Amino acid sequence: MKALSLPAQKRHEALVGYLFIAPYLVLFVAFVLVPVVWGYFISLHNWHVLGDQKPFVGFANYRALLRDDLFGIALLNTGYFALLTVIPGNVVSLLLALGLNARIRAENVYKAVFYLPVILSVAVVAIIWRWMYSTEFGLLNYYLKLLWQMFNLPGEFQPVPWLNSPQSAMPSLALMSIWWGAGGNMLIYLAGLRGIPEEYYEAARIDGASTWGRFWHITLPLLRPSLLFCLVMSLIGSSQVFGQSYILTGGGPHYSTLTVVLYMYQTGFSLYRMGYACAVAYVMFVIVLGFTLLQFRLLSARGEE
Amino acid sequence: MRISFVRVILYLLMTVGALLFLMPVAWMLVMSILPESEIFQPVPHWIPQEPTLQNFRELFKRAEEAPVMRWFWNSLFVAGTGTFTYLLLSSMAAYAFSRLDFPGRNVLFFVVLSTLIIPGQVTIIPVFLILQKLHWFNTYYALIVPGLAGAFGVFLLRQFFLTIPREMEEAALIDGCGRAGIYWRIILPLSKPALATLAIFSFLGGWNDFMLPLIATNEIEMRTLPVGLTIFLGRYSMQYGLVMATAVIATLPVLVMFLLFQRHIIRGVVLTGLKG
Repeated sequence: MKALSLPAQKRHEALVGYLFIAPYLVLFVAFVLVPVVWGYFISLHNWHVLGDQKPFVGFANYRALLRDDLFGIALLNTGYFALLTVIPGNVVSLLLALGLNARIRAENVYKAVFYLPVILSVAVVAIIWRWMYSTEFGLLNYYLKLLWQMFNLPGEFQPVPWLNSPQSAMPSLALMSIWWGAGGNMLIYLAGLRGIPEEYYEAARIDGASTWGRFWHITLPLLRPSLLFCLVMSLIGSSQVFGQSYILTGGGPHYSTLTVVLYMYQTGFSLYRMGYACAVAYVMFVIVLGFTLLQFRLLSARGEE
Repeated sequence: MRISFVRVILYLLMTVGALLFLMPVAWMLVMSILPESEIFQPVPHWIPQEPTLQNFRELFKRAEEAPVMRWFWNSLFVAGTGTFTYLLLSSMAAYAFSRLDFPGRNVLFFVVLSTLIIPGQVTIIPVFLILQKLHWFNTYYALIVPGLAGAFGVFLLRQFFLTIPREMEEAALIDGCGRAGIYWRIILPLSKPALATLAIFSFLGGWNDFMLPLIATNEIEMRTLPVGLTIFLGRYSMQYGLVMATAVIATLPVLVMFLLFQRHIIRGVVLTGLKG
């Protein structure tokens, strides 16, 4: 091989670099960068898919969102879903991780069972739970009735309407989502627990700390990075909930499960109002961005201590 | 004595929890082999009186209106081809970002990295319009290509490549090996663990993806299994055995993958914070 001079070598390396990066970069520009910028551009227009004219309307779509009752409902519903899933879901994940961390036999079997739902598609999850939640034939009502009779509770057991009533539909979607996702955070918590040095517990035991005291004063503070990470990631995930309500309830009954992303989907792909749908998407983006920045702050604040 | 009592309670709680977690999936499997007469029963038939593969046979008979096998192949092709291409393109870009010096490298990497915080749903409408402009609607391109642009693979592989000692490449360079040769013969073979983790999550993601196939196709022949399933749900809401059999078909490949690569998956979640 002919020896190249130093500047020529540099040029050669740069050329090779561009060649290596080019295939990915083309797709990145076409399907990430352009969509992000173009989406904002679309949100400033009255962009009907079938219309010939797509007039510029400035922030009219955003102003309209402020007065849109359905969008308000969708925001509230999404917040309600986050409330029902983020903290309860993380409590479940943490409890499972604590159980796994107690040096039990067949740990891997338990771990696999709790993680199993995570690998399922939202469509499969929804189909299984549609039957679980069936008022007449569902397993949940069947076993609730058994429990009712076992404990001799007063009166006749009233079947829970689960997905069929505005009061219980969103909690039902939340319960299903916790089952679906708890295994992921469980693994992160378990890794966090395994990272806590045994000596800390030894020392606390010598000082006569109770189990609860050890959990409260050692486990929880040292688990802070994992807790922050999982809580914020759950928050971000839950603000994008879509498949569950799209498949199981279509947003009903009475809009009780209409979420922000479902509203965006319906506006864009049923009503073809792309400009308005993009405005919804950007409002959601700003909210998620807020959560992400919050996470960066919390995690870096931790690092400075 | 007290210790062992606590342990009994612990095992009891964990086992009850595991059974509760397992119940929905187990019921799906049982229901797919129940004859129709045993499905709508006041008491669930956990042990079928007459187990049958009738539901699966029926699916093949209805291939005209509900092409489950076609959906299966679509899903397999989309997830398989997507995973392979994603690994190739991401590792090439990651190699350039971690090893080659060129003007604009750091700015480019920062731009790519910063898009990790953008939820895919934010861009789904422009992506749909771009697919239409490219005349890719209802094609495999539409199902595969948008997923290749995600920044996560580049980020993960770059991190891994940076841990590979440079001395190995310098020796190869002196021996007259080109950059492409180093990438192919040194970097990639040394990165098998990272590539395997990325491949598993990429395949699971492609197989399970719901929103992209929902908006990128509308012909029944071009649907993937998850979207096909929801079409089914509307059409055969009274023949739940058929629906459950399809759900089983949609689950078996990822279930087998999970059982084979369990340790890889679990380690991957911890390393990357990915949840599958």
